[in-house]
Amino acid sequence: MESLLQHLERFSELLAVSRTTHVSTWDPTTVRRALQWARYLRHVHRRFGRHVRIRTALERRLRSQWRQKGASGSAAVPGLNFQALGRCDLLLSLRLLENRALGDAACHYLLQQLFPGPGVPDADEETLQGSLARLARRRSAVHMLLFNGYGENSVLEESVLKTQAELLLERLGEVPKAEAEGRSRFLSTLWDRLPQKNFLKVIAAALLLPPSSPRPQGEELELDTPKTPGEGGQELVRWLLARSDVMAAFCHDLPVGLLASVAGRHPEFSRAYLGLLTDWGRHLHYDLQKGTWVGAEPQHVSWEELYGRFQSLCQAPPPLKDEVLTALESCKAQDGDFQVPGLSIWTDLFLALGSGS
Amino acid sequence: MAQDLVGFSSDYQFWMQKLSLWDQASTLETQQDTCLHLPRFQEFLRQLYEVLKEMDSNTIIERFPTIGQLLAKTCWNPFILAFDESQKILMWCLCCLINKEPQNSEESKLNSWTRGLLSHILSGFRFDRKEVGLFTQGLGYVPADYCPGLLKNMVLSLVSELRENHLNGFNTQRRMVPEKIRFLSRVCIPLVTLPDIEPLVEALLTCHGHEPQEVLWPEFFDAVNEAFLLKKISLPTSAVVCLWLRHLPSLEKATLHLFEKLISSERNFLRRIECFLKDSLLPEAACHPAIFRIVDEMFRYALLETDGAPEVLVAVQGFTRCFVEALEKKNKQLKFTFKTYFPYASPSLVMVLLQRPEDIPQELWHQPLKRISEMLREIVEDQTHGSYGGPFECWFLFIHFGGWADIAAEQLVMSEAEPSEALLWLLAFSCSPHDGSPQRAQTMVEVKAVLSRLKKLLRSPILSAKDLQAAAAESQDRDPRPPLCQQLIRRLLLNFLLWAPGGHVNAREVIALMAPSDEIAHDMTGFLDQTLYRWDHLRMEAPRSRKLARELLAELRMVGTAMQGPGSPRPRDVMRRPFLHGMSAENEP
Repeated sequence: MESLLQHLERFSELLAVSRTTHVSTWDPTTVRRALQWARYLRHVHRRFGRHVRIRTALERRLRSQWRQKGASGSAAVPGLNFQALGRCDLLLSLRLLENRALGDAACHYLLQQLFPGPGVPDADEETLQGSLARLARRRSAVHMLLFNGYGENSVLEESVLKTQAELLLERLGEVPKAEAEGRSRFLSTLWDRLPQKNFLKVIAAALLLPPSSPRPQGEELELDTPKTPGEGGQELVRWLLARSDVMAAFCHDLPVGLLASVAGRHPEFSRAYLGLLTDWGRHLHYDLQKGTWVGAEPQHVSWEELYGRFQSLCQAPPPLKDEVLTALESCKAQDGDFQVPGLSIWTDLFLALGSGS
Repeated sequence: MAQDLVGFSSDYQFWMQKLSLWDQASTLETQQDTCLHLPRFQEFLRQLYEVLKEMDSNTIIERFPTIGQLLAKTCWNPFILAFDESQKILMWCLCCLINKEPQNSEESKLNSWTRGLLSHILSGFRFDRKEVGLFTQGLGYVPADYCPGLLKNMVLSLVSELRENHLNGFNTQRRMVPEKIRFLSRVCIPLVTLPDIEPLVEALLTCHGHEPQEVLWPEFFDAVNEAFLLKKISLPTSAVVCLWLRHLPSLEKATLHLFEKLISSERNFLRRIECFLKDSLLPEAACHPAIFRIVDEMFRYALLETDGAPEVLVAVQGFTRCFVEALEKKNKQLKFTFKTYFPYASPSLVMVLLQRPEDIPQELWHQPLKRISEMLREIVEDQTHGSYGGPFECWFLFIHFGGWADIAAEQLVMSEAEPSEALLWLLAFSCSPHDGSPQRAQTMVEVKAVLSRLKKLLRSPILSAKDLQAAAAESQDRDPRPPLCQQLIRRLLLNFLLWAPGGHVNAREVIALMAPSDEIAHDMTGFLDQTLYRWDHLRMEAPRSRKLARELLAELRMVGTAMQGPGSPRPRDVMRRPFLHGMSAENEP
């Protein structure tokens, strides 16, 4: 076991090096050894991937390497995870191919290994040549579907968001749970580093991903799924609610209907969202001249927008709808339980929603 | 070799022009043209690789100075990269350009350029919005990590959009425009054998749009059908049925493909035939009357073209059996009456023919047989040809359910009583439909005579081959028997052998006696195989008869291999029904 883990460590280092100019010193023998290591690890992944104990040990070692890298000060770009082991030879090959520093002789050898030609029976999909061909084929497929758009491609944009969401949850799941605040810190780092508008959309998509099937018990595991599928969503919500700045941006920037869907799936979020809306509502006062509710300052949300948000929430199925109406009622009661418009914003909202729905 | 190179050079020029025309295949015309040429271009790439792999990098550049352009243009056409193995062969070709030890900056640049192109094919992927690329990179992922997942999500998205389109016809907001559906069908043409795309192919086939005309590209249907026939794609039966209903040429190709398998030069035993039939999904698809009619029409045509070759007869029978089985499985939702499948036949005749012998006690089999015979006779002898077609139509209908003829023969041989006229007529008709009344009557008389001689043999304790020969002998004072009648007598003899209670008969002797030519041996083998098969289906025990049948089969096989070299064609002249083609109403006199 220990030798396997050492092997894993050395390979991770190798993978990291494969992107640097250090490969200029590599000769064909080095390349051959690197590919052999990769092949061995791929074999390990296939053979022991369903074996809980071995898999856990491998994952733990991979994560500890990741942490080390982060600790050393360089940006914590995650390295290998367990799923990636299943294609580590592919990843290594691609890195070497893209690395201009790799010498000509080494490159020539690499290509001979990657593309031996028609003699090799390709019926076995497991060969590297087959995987590479399949990758190229899939890439063209994505290209054709994505870039020959017919007008607006909202349906395909959805799938791009969904894929990003899946990647996010995968990485999130790799942060060790034992570490306190580890996942929060990870998400905060991402928030600081990545384009924020896109990140918000991805979070929403992640919160709306269909719940995955419960983890099978016992020794048998699926090779390719991360180990804790359902928890990622919870972590995200917790982080989102803890960061009021992110929450505000989330609720401001995303479409109203999308927020209603998220609220429908996550009760803690719906409570926080309602709280936010009530806050926003309290900033509005009734302008007798205009005959409508206005905000004191320009950044305050307008009556129309507030109404629109409540309306969209009320179009959601129960229990969300009922929750929203109850909240409104209680606000209305607290405010004095007026029945006449113009005195309490909650009464007006309630009346408007009542007549509208 | 020199000649090949000349031809190859002109191919090279041709494809170079085509690639320039296609560019990145971003318009409808270029996409369509690319799709039409995909298989041929892949062949060209293979040939190119064979040429390039013999040369080193410098020689290649000397010999094909524009090779860089050709390969680069290929890389930029996603339709080509998506097709079958083209991307792999292209990468092989590129690898040939790599120089192990570049001597000067030119060669280094070539290496660099080639590597760039290879990288591009494998992982050159850029989202059209930067933020997405930054996101994936920020999380430490490369295209190789997320491409499969992205493709899966895209396919799922498109499939659900198509299905909603299918269901919510009136909700115009969510409707997928026909151009987009057509575009998707084009994109699928090169991708048809990629497993990730299967759900999309299935959705395109089964989700009908709301346009009155066909929206999908015809080449799409062709590509899917080809892939299905070569087993490179696995589709649910419902999708295949949709394919065939929407695109007639695909159905025809699938039927011809089946024919080729069933009617190959190799002897196909019935069990294998049944496997081929079920595999092809045609019997199940034929539960849809439109499909049944077309396939049936093709069988009819095959029968006419081959003058009633026995293989085709067996194929028709097998097909009908599988079809009826499939129909019964769907019986809960039986939507079509039998009339829709056999519109030109008498409905009562069809109903009797459709009865399953296994559902009727053996001693009552003579009843449906009599009815069938009477009904057929009535139609055939009706001079006005009524509304049920002439003799050929009747015969064609009857041979769908050819098992009845075999049962009739068995009954005649097994029963103690006088052979019934009805059964005699039926047998004579089924083997020789074109006979006029006098010839048929003659045949019936001959058969009756043979039967009575055979019945006498029943009493003797030992059967010798000589006895059999005597029983079957033609009488000297009449015209020689026509070959089809001879075939009938031979089958009756075999039946008799199998059922005669008395004595053991030497299989070898019998076979030697019948002195089978290739043709006759073939016929007898087919007959014995069908008989065994039928007994299985009817769950008839008859252990002694089975044993004898197997012995005869074994003996025939030995005789066959002794006489015939492997692969030599069988003479076909004797067993045909030479006047058959004159019987169809459609043919000229």
